[in-house]
Amino acid sequence: MIKNYMKIAFRSLLKNKGYSFLNIFGLAIGITCASLIFLWVEDEMSFNDVFEKQDQVYYVPTNQKYDGEWRTFYSTPGPLAKVLKDEIPGIVRTAKTVGENLMFAVGDNAISRAGKYADAEIFEIFGLSFLEGNAKDAFKNPEAIVITKEIAEQLYGKDTKVLGKIIKVNNNTNYLISGVIENIPENVSFPFKWLAPFERFGANREWTREYGSNFADTFVELSPEANFESVDAKVRKTLQEKTGDEDVFSFLHTMKDWHLRSKFDGGKVVGGRIAYVRLFTVIAIIILLIACINFMNLSTARSEKRANEVGVRKAMGSGRSRLMIQFIAEALLMASIAAIVSVMLLFVLLPQFNLLIDRHLELGLANPLHLSVLLAITLVCGLFAGIYPAFYLSSFKPVEVLKGIKATTGSATFIRKGLVVGQFTVSIVFIISTILVYQQIQHVKNRDLGYNKEQLIRMDVNGSMIENFSIIKQDLINAGMIENITYNNSQLLSGGNNGSGLEWKGGTNTEDVLISFRYVSPEFIKTIDMELLEGRDFNANEALDSAHTIITESFAKLMGTGSAIGKTIRRNEYTYEVIGVIKDFLYGDMYGTSDPVMFFNSSNQARFLYVKTKAGIATNTILSKIESVMKKNNPAFPFEYTFVDESFNNKFKSEQLVGKLSQIFALLAILISCLGLFGLAAYTAEQRSKEIGVRKVLGASVSGIVKLLSKDFLKLVLISITMAVPIAWMLMSSWLEDFAYRIEINWWIFIMAGMIAIAIAIITVSFQAIKAAIANPVNSLKTE
Amino acid sequence: MLLELNNVSRTIKSGNKKITLLDAIDLYVEEGEFISLMGPSGSGKSTLLNCIGMLDDFTDGHYTFLEEPVHDMKSKQRSHLYKEYIGFVFQAYHLIDELTVYENIETPLLYKNVKSSERKALVADILDRFNIVGKKDLFPSQLSGGQQQLVGIARALITKPKLILADEPTGNLNSKQGLEIMELFSELNKEGVTIVQATHSESNAAFGSRIINLLDGKIVSM
Repeated sequence: MIKNYMKIAFRSLLKNKGYSFLNIFGLAIGITCASLIFLWVEDEMSFNDVFEKQDQVYYVPTNQKYDGEWRTFYSTPGPLAKVLKDEIPGIVRTAKTVGENLMFAVGDNAISRAGKYADAEIFEIFGLSFLEGNAKDAFKNPEAIVITKEIAEQLYGKDTKVLGKIIKVNNNTNYLISGVIENIPENVSFPFKWLAPFERFGANREWTREYGSNFADTFVELSPEANFESVDAKVRKTLQEKTGDEDVFSFLHTMKDWHLRSKFDGGKVVGGRIAYVRLFTVIAIIILLIACINFMNLSTARSEKRANEVGVRKAMGSGRSRLMIQFIAEALLMASIAAIVSVMLLFVLLPQFNLLIDRHLELGLANPLHLSVLLAITLVCGLFAGIYPAFYLSSFKPVEVLKGIKATTGSATFIRKGLVVGQFTVSIVFIISTILVYQQIQHVKNRDLGYNKEQLIRMDVNGSMIENFSIIKQDLINAGMIENITYNNSQLLSGGNNGSGLEWKGGTNTEDVLISFRYVSPEFIKTIDMELLEGRDFNANEALDSAHTIITESFAKLMGTGSAIGKTIRRNEYTYEVIGVIKDFLYGDMYGTSDPVMFFNSSNQARFLYVKTKAGIATNTILSKIESVMKKNNPAFPFEYTFVDESFNNKFKSEQLVGKLSQIFALLAILISCLGLFGLAAYTAEQRSKEIGVRKVLGASVSGIVKLLSKDFLKLVLISITMAVPIAWMLMSSWLEDFAYRIEINWWIFIMAGMIAIAIAIITVSFQAIKAAIANPVNSLKTE
Repeated sequence: MLLELNNVSRTIKSGNKKITLLDAIDLYVEEGEFISLMGPSGSGKSTLLNCIGMLDDFTDGHYTFLEEPVHDMKSKQRSHLYKEYIGFVFQAYHLIDELTVYENIETPLLYKNVKSSERKALVADILDRFNIVGKKDLFPSQLSGGQQQLVGIARALITKPKLILADEPTGNLNSKQGLEIMELFSELNKEGVTIVQATHSESNAAFGSRIINLLDGKIVSM
């Protein structure tokens, strides 16, 4: 019996190539799209999975209260790690870490890699497996360093034993390789390529042993029996007990939430990427749904062709259930073919998708999970898409269909129209969302930063860059390649390096305000194009400015009315006189408002060089010139640089991902919906061919008939628009609410999306309508 | 007695009006009869055939088939009955386009859950008997009308029914093809198959052993 069904299914598939193509292609696109999303979701969900102790390992963020508001920071004071382990039962291991970029050199072979200075228990906490050496002895030597297999291979080549080798770091210090660990995969929240004893970092930095400075990433491991609530409660009290400060406490953040639930508001977790994971899962299901709807629509639309077969089979003795099984089997066959097509599509598209989302997802069909998900999607789609046609088709009465009475009932037409409306509603929602996401990203990108990020190159300070700063500056200017050069203790676009407890006259609770500190060179303001509102820039001679500061406009406002110039600010035991006020500029959260800033004229803490290049010169020329100048004045280090505008763009990765994905989904949803509409239009034209023939004989014009056929479909699209607009408005308002700096939703976007939908529908339908309208009426009238 | 109709009627509702398609019909059919139903279009021939064939129901009266009361049966029992004893032949042949001649003939056996080996034998026999072995792998669209109707009859006969219901079996055929089909029917009738056919044609009706004239849903002469 099944064989007979399959035979029929295959033959009717071949016989109606057009319909089969629409059906299978639509479903294949749906399955492909859903598969891509599910692969991405799997990757997101599997972040940090490489570490074994999922339930026991926690990160320790710190909440601090400023101006009555709790803010969460990813940093802790140095002593906290040890105290937590010593004083709280249930915590078995802790490690404080601090990240740094090191340059490793073996002969001419030099590479730069990010890693962490950490306490020795880090190995146990993360359960790192050693290829050479072991966790116990790894940090016995104070000069030890544990590197990943990747670094070992880069420096020494494959299959070389490297344990015990001395490696030159940053051209000035020696490290002893005390272990090689497996590579850490990309999808971890706190990546590192090497680990070295924390003591080496802390040796000359007294502040790493004080409670005053928050700088370390602290990780703790609970014993398997420990009760999280009670341990967490004790962790929350620790900092206050040690410092007496009521406005600060640390807490535990489980490894399982590091990636997906790491957005904090008011000191509490309020979600994070999990929202996107959920959103895209829903979208995947919706796209599958649209594809299934297509299938249902086309199947029921074709019912007339199948009606006769149903009648005959019933007259031959088939029961209704057997017919239903037959139609569902056909749908399953179609779905299976679609699944095969989509696997082929996935092979082609996955590399592009990986580029787009900046990941390395693999299809992994050998993975039983992937295979079973694919099979499940196929099965569910087949059943879902097949069940309505099965019910509908099998309900035909043989007497009627064999007599040739039209089988279409009102309910089927209604449902079919409903399905089209559903599809188009989803498509229009996608169109609107795409436009709005794009607008929001552009809106933020075009936001006035308060400085000019173009033609700005950043270099990490190393070697003798600061000693030779004036020579480097002179050489670069002489070469005619740059406008200016400056340094900063912080990255231009980043937050951090802040503190509170300052005092000044004219404000209330001044010690409660969080202020960012920037240690810069004179001409910093000029170099990056900040606007000096009043006063003057720093002196060329650093020493003359030791008691001077430049502040931002928002800081000046905190100091009361009138000019801020000449007013004083007290920080620790020092007093600074304000000599200049600059316009507020944006750093840290690109969507929010940035904290007030205090600038100091000091090269002591310089960590980044910023070079403003001349416009109109080829980038390569500039870079090679800068490189030669740096080689000359800072010979020990390779020339490494970043363009500030690129880092700026990188700050919008997750929004851009949403933008790109919603673009793709919009396109796919529209494509699938159009396939359905196309099929339906073909069906309608066919069904009304006699009517069209009669009308033409009676003198109707081609354009009149095209209008007649298109009108009904346009009505459906119009209904879709009225349904889609409120849905899209609600969805996008709540998405935009997450951003402090956001666009207003404009009414013309809805009109535009509606026009796009109408245009697409007209193009799709009119193709069929014109075909039907220009056909010779004699042919259609003869068929009866 | 093969079947017996006592005072059966069929009415349908069209809008607010009640339309009577069959009006108080009494009919007895003995096994081995060859009955021709005649009458103008709309006189109720097809409706009567469909109702006898249990594709449609009488709305009133008693219908007894092989001593069993069809009017009291559930649809499952009824379908069992007609699967077992009744075969249909249609004016428009109604073969399934996607199936070959062989497969079309085989289909009713599939619905009767006949075993594969037995199916093969039965289909082979009938192909042989109708001289269409050479055409078994062709699709309906590759056959002439007469050949298609031949397949239609073969399909109706494959389950060895006691009764064949034929609704204008030659209506779409030319006279030569029609004659061949009618000759086949008489041959089958001689072998013991009961046949009820609806027809417009006097000459076709003459093949039957009894002619029943219908007009406006009533039997006007037997």
